[in-house]
Amino acid sequence: MSLKRDLPTSTMSGFALSASLVLTILNILLHNIPNNIQTVGDELLKLNQTEGVANAVTTVVVYFRGFDTLGEIAVLFIASLGIGLMLDANKRCDIKAKSNFMLQTASKLLFPIIMLFGIYVMVYGHLSPGGGFQGGVIVASGVLLLLISFNEFELSHKVVSMLEMFAGASYVIIGLIGLLVLDKFLGNFLPNDVANMGMLLSGGIIPIIYIIVGVKVGSEMSVISENLIKRCEDV
Amino acid sequence: MIGFLILSVFIGIVIIAFASVTQKKLSDAIILFMGVGLGSVVLFFIFKAPDVALTEAVIGSGISSLIFLMALKHLKEKA
Amino acid sequence: MFEFFNQSEVIKIIIIVGSMSLFLVGLFGLLTQKHIIKTFISIAIMESSVFLLFIGLSYKQTFLAPILADGQQNFSQMNDPVPQAMILTAIVIGMAVLALGVSFTIEYYKLTSKTNIDEMTSLRN
Repeated sequence: MSLKRDLPTSTMSGFALSASLVLTILNILLHNIPNNIQTVGDELLKLNQTEGVANAVTTVVVYFRGFDTLGEIAVLFIASLGIGLMLDANKRCDIKAKSNFMLQTASKLLFPIIMLFGIYVMVYGHLSPGGGFQGGVIVASGVLLLLISFNEFELSHKVVSMLEMFAGASYVIIGLIGLLVLDKFLGNFLPNDVANMGMLLSGGIIPIIYIIVGVKVGSEMSVISENLIKRCEDV
Repeated sequence: MIGFLILSVFIGIVIIAFASVTQKKLSDAIILFMGVGLGSVVLFFIFKAPDVALTEAVIGSGISSLIFLMALKHLKEKA
Repeated sequence: MFEFFNQSEVIKIIIIVGSMSLFLVGLFGLLTQKHIIKTFISIAIMESSVFLLFIGLSYKQTFLAPILADGQQNFSQMNDPVPQAMILTAIVIGMAVLALGVSFTIEYYKLTSKTNIDEMTSLRN
């Protein structure tokens, strides 16, 4: 570690200033540690009784704060657009090295199992830990396994863009239907009885929206991975 | 028992993070950064937050490592 | 010795001190390293420390996770679901911004073939 020779005084003084700020925050936090405070979460857990969904985090992400999830999908879309513009997605090159036959055989066996597990995590998001984000990224990692094993595997441009387009538009359309029927953007207009809690068809529009989010996140991650792997290197 | 477990995992994470930041080669720094992600998954599980643990496991090990390793390849660093 | 570490005040102190020291380690790396990919790694370490502090401050020792188990009927004695929902969003957005930054670095290297932040002086003089 050749750190002792080239540390200027401005860097060390800036670090000392930030360390003292962090220590004052520590001091303030350590002196007031209350134990029984009523938070917003207790009220939301009581409201969750009437929704009919077994996973409380899913209702908070999709129903009570559904507008934030819409904004997050927009941020992911802009990032994927920027990566596609930067890395010159039209120039695909051939990778010269051929991968090992053990990798090719194993990825052919593992790919359906990974896709099945990803779709299971996506669909059962309202009954057990999981949901749209986790399931979408699992599906994208299955596609990534195929991308690094076979040289001639390419994602078809039309299918992926159609999936992403329809998933993004249906989120807003479902919100607008809720506005028409119930006077509330993203209102719950499908039947959700408490008696059905724990079954697959329960909770109204909540599992439908999470599946839409999962499809969109999965397709965007696959496109990002393909842009990073198959970009042309300069000769 | 739980308090001792939390203390030991925190000490491990801080040591691995300090080792990752002060390495000379870039490939060693990336592999040690994946260790920080693994430790934080264990901590999220102890804090009884299963959704967050699943998300950090998939994103920290799957996509974030892929991004840094592809940067290693395109910047022509010696691994 | 194990009973001393199980009190709730001691656990809170361990969580606060641990995540703040992880933040300081990431800050040290951000200030002193010269390669640009190492600054991205330090920023990611700082983000991880803030997530740990958030979830750790809302952890009560005898409560359960906010998901209904078999045979339960009502949501009581459970942890807070709002910080977990916010951290889920924050992890995904942090990863997206990191991917965009790395692609900018790759494109800059293709144009000028520099990765040391002391040599990136094309806007000066």
